[in-house]
Amino acid sequence: MTCRPQYVKECKCPDEVMSCIRETLGESLLEMEMRERMDGMPRRVLYRDLWVHLKREGFLKLVDRLMEIDFLHFHVMSGNDDGEVVTLNLHCSLFREAGSGHRLGVTLSIPIPKDDLVFPSLSSRIPGTEYSEREMREMLGIHFEGLPNTDLLFLPENWDEEIKPWRRDETGPSPESIRELS
Amino acid sequence: MSAGSHKTYRIPIGPVHVGLKEPVTTWLDVDGERIVKATVRPGSIHRGIEWMARERNPIQVIYLAERICGICSFTHIVAFLRAVEDAAKIEVPIRAQYIRSLVLELERVHSHILWAGVACYTFGYDSAFNLGMLLREKVMDVLEALTGNRVNYGVGTVGGVRRDLTPRAAKAVREMIQFYRREFQTFLDVVTEDPIARARMRNVGVLSQEDAVKYCALGPTARGSGLRVDLRHSSPYEAYGDLGVTPLVPQDYTGEVFGDVYDRFFVRVMEVVQSLELLEKIVDGIPEGPIAWEPKLPKVLAALKAADGIGWGIIEGPRGDDTHVVKLTRGEENVTWWKVRAPTYANAVSWPLMFQNQEIADAPLIINSIDPCISCMERILVSDARAGRSEILTRANLVERCREKTRRLMGA
Repeated sequence: MTCRPQYVKECKCPDEVMSCIRETLGESLLEMEMRERMDGMPRRVLYRDLWVHLKREGFLKLVDRLMEIDFLHFHVMSGNDDGEVVTLNLHCSLFREAGSGHRLGVTLSIPIPKDDLVFPSLSSRIPGTEYSEREMREMLGIHFEGLPNTDLLFLPENWDEEIKPWRRDETGPSPESIRELS
Repeated sequence: MSAGSHKTYRIPIGPVHVGLKEPVTTWLDVDGERIVKATVRPGSIHRGIEWMARERNPIQVIYLAERICGICSFTHIVAFLRAVEDAAKIEVPIRAQYIRSLVLELERVHSHILWAGVACYTFGYDSAFNLGMLLREKVMDVLEALTGNRVNYGVGTVGGVRRDLTPRAAKAVREMIQFYRREFQTFLDVVTEDPIARARMRNVGVLSQEDAVKYCALGPTARGSGLRVDLRHSSPYEAYGDLGVTPLVPQDYTGEVFGDVYDRFFVRVMEVVQSLELLEKIVDGIPEGPIAWEPKLPKVLAALKAADGIGWGIIEGPRGDDTHVVKLTRGEENVTWWKVRAPTYANAVSWPLMFQNQEIADAPLIINSIDPCISCMERILVSDARAGRSEILTRANLVERCREKTRRLMGA
């Protein structure tokens, strides 16, 4: 599904976005938290961040739903090896051009089981995700289905691709491969 | 690769120039002088900074974050600190927020003037380059007076700042504002009004508004394509909620958007003028009060050790929004993980679009136009696979080609 690449000029209220997410995800929603970011004088809420923890099954459906609200601006992916799963976080924004204080930070956090480290690529919907998907592929070993370019991004050309630098298990760097400088 | 009977050459640009944080290799497929395709390969100096942070506590990571970039070092630490403060639920005193905004704006002024000067140098306008560098010294002096350093100021800490704004430093900031109001207009005029400068930048390296959205462009690169996006406006942080920042876009001044190098240049130089207004508001309106949530470092470290959660810090740096995400785990002194996304990381994705159908002579200008944290033109190898020959072009050769084009335009 493709969305017209432009930003809406009027935002929806955060509660409306939350209900929309609840409705779209159903049982795929694990947890949702709204954080109010307060600053300034007098101290007041200046913007909000929404943290959505969800199952992989609901991910594409949610992205497509959010893209109907506004073109989802993608910032970056972060991730961690959490034992049984690799957790992938996509940090995005809605209402980027919808006026002062209206941007809504949206983080989608998805646990991916290590025995099936596959995740759908967003590159056809949001081409700006390419670098992050390539980075998460080489650093954490996540296979992005539909990612056209799987060349290494940050690691050197002669890197042994069996080693995933950010993993904390046997696929991560071994102590022998680490050179302490001090 | 080849267009009809034309030969296509592949020109690798880059990758390394010491002392800059993000060297990049770019391969340009060229048909004659025209670029038909560009491929970008970063990673030549990936230092694994995020990995290094796993063995450091958040206070130690501040100094690591500060060394990600020599130009926007304070931007990085404020983004990192905001992520830590979000994870640990730490409230920053209002005076500290104003001081952070003050240093951020000073950093924007010196970054934008540096970029504008270097852009002029790239197309052979050395007088403007020298004028730019001369002007930039003033803000560097003020940063030194305020923090003790010209680079890596070391003034940020979790929950506040480490240096107060003294009356003497405030006076230096006011004098600097007056200085730029007197002198900066000259620089602005000699470049934006110059027909040759305009010819070198207009319709070069175009990024359409639609592509800027799709490819997630940031900062002056996005605003140069007409998008009214600025985190200081859309999600104000620190003192920006009190200052009232409006995103600066070319259509508000010239009535139209080209999305080219000229528009990106124009946005940056006008943002210097905007920053002066913000600096004046900060110095006039800074409230009294403490500058740190907790001045005793062991207490801060204890609070950070007790914190548990992921924090997200995102601020508008000179080149675009800078994103830091941090995970702290209860009972652990060190950062569990940390993700940094500098603006160049996002803007570089749209580089290949800007290169399409441009001339090799414009390549340095296009590379510079997103204000990358790199200097990737140390040497260029032009190879012709069919003829089996290769020729090394130095950075000087490339700059000379760029300047030659300016001379052609001038009819010299």
